[in-house]
Amino acid sequence: MSAYGGVSGDPPVVRDVVLVEDETVRAHAVDGAPIVQFTAFLDGTQTVHVRGHERGAPIMQGTVAAVIRERRERRLVTWPHRLPIVRHAYYAPLLYVRERANHERNGWPIVDTSYTKKGTLVPRHPAALRAEALERIGHARERAERELADAWCEMAANAADGGAGVLFVDGGISGSVTTATSSCVVGVIKSHQTLYSLGDGLPTIMSLECGERSSVFRVPHKERTPVVSWYLRLRNPHGHDAMFGLVRVEVADHGDYAARANDVSRWILAEVAPLSLPDGRWDKMVYGIRDCEQFLRAIAS
Amino acid sequence: MNEQEQVVASSADGFTPLGRVVATERKPNTPHEFHFWTALESPVGIGTIVRVDGAHPIGGQIPHIYGIVTEGFSYTDLASPLHDVMGHDGSPANTSFASVDRAEIRLYTAAVLRQVPEEPLQPVPMGSVYLAQTEDVNIALRMDGYLKDGAHTGIPVGVYRAGGTQAPIYLDADFLIGPEAAHLNITGVSGLATKTSAVEWLLSSIFAHFPESKGSIAAVCFNVKGPDLCFLDHAGTLDDADRALYDAMRVPAEPFRDVHYYAPYTARGMSLNTLRSNEALVHNVTPLTWGLNEVLQYAEVLLNRDDVDAKADALIDFINQNVVGQPFNDPLLSRPHTVRSLADLEDWFKDVLQGLERKDDQSWRTHHVATIRKVRNRLSNISTRCAGLVTDSGVVSDLPFGEFRDRGLYVVDVANLEEDAQDLIFARLVSKLREHLERRDLGVKHVVVFVDELNKYAPADAPDTYVRKMLLDIAERGRYLGLVLFSAQQFRSQVHRRVVGNSGTALYGRMDVDELATPGYSILSPAVKTKLATLDKGQLMIRHPHFTQPIFVRFPRPAVMRGRDGAELFPAAEDVSLEVAVFRSLRALDPSLSLNAVTDVIAIHDDKDVLRARNLTLQERPADVLGFFASKLRKTVPGGATRAPSVAALRAIPDDDPYAF
Repeated sequence: MSAYGGVSGDPPVVRDVVLVEDETVRAHAVDGAPIVQFTAFLDGTQTVHVRGHERGAPIMQGTVAAVIRERRERRLVTWPHRLPIVRHAYYAPLLYVRERANHERNGWPIVDTSYTKKGTLVPRHPAALRAEALERIGHARERAERELADAWCEMAANAADGGAGVLFVDGGISGSVTTATSSCVVGVIKSHQTLYSLGDGLPTIMSLECGERSSVFRVPHKERTPVVSWYLRLRNPHGHDAMFGLVRVEVADHGDYAARANDVSRWILAEVAPLSLPDGRWDKMVYGIRDCEQFLRAIAS
Repeated sequence: MNEQEQVVASSADGFTPLGRVVATERKPNTPHEFHFWTALESPVGIGTIVRVDGAHPIGGQIPHIYGIVTEGFSYTDLASPLHDVMGHDGSPANTSFASVDRAEIRLYTAAVLRQVPEEPLQPVPMGSVYLAQTEDVNIALRMDGYLKDGAHTGIPVGVYRAGGTQAPIYLDADFLIGPEAAHLNITGVSGLATKTSAVEWLLSSIFAHFPESKGSIAAVCFNVKGPDLCFLDHAGTLDDADRALYDAMRVPAEPFRDVHYYAPYTARGMSLNTLRSNEALVHNVTPLTWGLNEVLQYAEVLLNRDDVDAKADALIDFINQNVVGQPFNDPLLSRPHTVRSLADLEDWFKDVLQGLERKDDQSWRTHHVATIRKVRNRLSNISTRCAGLVTDSGVVSDLPFGEFRDRGLYVVDVANLEEDAQDLIFARLVSKLREHLERRDLGVKHVVVFVDELNKYAPADAPDTYVRKMLLDIAERGRYLGLVLFSAQQFRSQVHRRVVGNSGTALYGRMDVDELATPGYSILSPAVKTKLATLDKGQLMIRHPHFTQPIFVRFPRPAVMRGRDGAELFPAAEDVSLEVAVFRSLRALDPSLSLNAVTDVIAIHDDKDVLRARNLTLQERPADVLGFFASKLRKTVPGGATRAPSVAALRAIPDDDPYAF
């Protein structure tokens, strides 16, 4: 993990965005007391082990899992409409691995990492092959999360009373059209390898006080559905680094940005207790997401 | 039904698991202990009996493990309390802002009661945990072995309750009354209606369920304080919950049917020394009076070690063998003696001592005069120390040894007596019971003797006494005779270890925390100790040879009148005149008697004579009560004018011879 919470190996970047609220990036104090609105929390995990090497080619074992934990009477239980997803697979460059049968003993599928998803041959360098495997595993986790989020949206759409509540998703929501356009899903991103700003707005974002949010902006995605986003400071950053307690929120672009951002910020601020300690990301991680991770650790380890 | 109630209801049906066995390297399961977790709403608590169904068969049989919860743990995913402080900005008031409760666990430790199959004995396997149903409880406590049709020796002691399960708990009569094991000890703090109530209830249960095949049974209870046991033949107040418990255990909710009370007289000898002296209740109260014979056998009880040295002991033996109850003469004595009472013995002592003084001798028949004086002093003093119980006249009124009745309850009220008299009564009655049981001529095959305040009679750290030796003897050998000791005390740790150790069954009511801190309770978990320290009225913890772990049960209020209520409803009779006291005593034998008739008979006789005649009448129970009473009064000389005896006149002195030469 980088100092600023990033988990990928991508270099830190700052990307320009289009503001949909305000002319320049400003800090807005969230108006109103925190209010509990989220009905459930979604998170996924991935674990990777190197099972071995064959003629220098790494054979990886990956497990991805995802779950929605629903809040009932102040306690979190597994969402009963869709069971948690746990998937295991081997990731191996079949181009270089001959004894495929050895890795099919327990019935787990084998994902070929000889080529990228775009069909490009991955260099034989073991590090390149391992990176490809990691990327595939990451995609598998995102897919599992997306399936559950879509199922939530589907249930919400079919709910007789007009909605099943709002789902707190750990991470972005733009990976699926369904979630990216649904008003019952809110994505909260804890890592900031990519910072979004406009002009001189970055210092404003970095200076947000506890309970303040930034102006709302639209996140441009080439391959994903555009969503609107803003930064929100969950905890007092004094004495900490600039990213302490800072999250980025993604919601579907349904207009009425200021009011929507204020409401959703109030919902997120209601989740700052209990603390997610002893998790190292406790300043940004809400307890519902920690609960998801603990649950997945128990069933998918 | 809300969600929580549904969880509880479904967990209690015996089919829905309420927990899962867990084991870690740091907290592994063993053959005698296992751990399981439950839902937060689970009805499991300390003392709950559970069943574990193993997941894999052993020898073709799915293992079933029965356990009782002995410890409970609760914790959250909080790594440090400081995190919670930080999470609420240091203010407990902020806790209400938390949107969700932390993940929380209810983790329990259970002690294994039984494994089926019992071999091979293995650590408890992983598996589902179920609330034990009635059949499970029977198996878990090995009650299935003695609740079989045709060989039912179960004595209900209470009802085990957990979740929806309500199972009667039975003690095995073979292990409660004998001969396999015997005796029961109950301990608990005073004033919570535990000890006495539990024994009253248990006696009801024994009388209702003692198997016919094991013969007859009676109970002798010593009422050592207040009016506790004074109204056992009167109905008490029960509520519906009590009646439900009686129904569940098939014990009639009624007072004892055949109760007999015994009490010595007061020191004045007018009325009985008992709180059951109300005129409406005296019909089944019998005086308890003993004479020289009865006392001398148990002189050791009344004479402490300093008194009874070897020399004194030898003299007492001599008196017992050669003087009491037979004509005795000796050149030293002024007349032959036949000693039948303490008064006769006193006359005999006087004669012996005067004879020694006459001869100016220091010893008689090897007994030194100082020893004779000492023994005289101690024995003569008995009638004073045990006034009301020991009579100078030698009249004996005793328990009906040889005629004890099946399911009869014999209460001896010693509550108002001096300690010496209490000891004497206890020692002699128990010894007599033992003698008759040995000869098989008591009238019943088994006798339960209930003694409260055992720490007084068999203390752990006091000089050895006759009573303590006798209690030890009962505890160690009584079961072979059918003599069973039910004992009670506030502090078990203060009772002689061999007495409580030989009690096959032990009951515990609410306990004092100081007592629980003593080494005798170290085998209990902190949670069980906490439960013991907070037990409600009517709750007991039971240890019994068949139960590998203590069990908690609830028992009903006894169906007899509480001592306090009885004392209010039937206030003790006030001290009355001699005439009224005798009239009341004799009227129990002949209801047609009138006070005037008795007063006329008593007339001018002195009090001692009247009381002696009354005691003899009560002992004899003649058909003609008043006639017999009158015949036993000493004859008095009729009054009349007396003439002065004639006195011979002195010889006159001559006038001229004043010196009478």
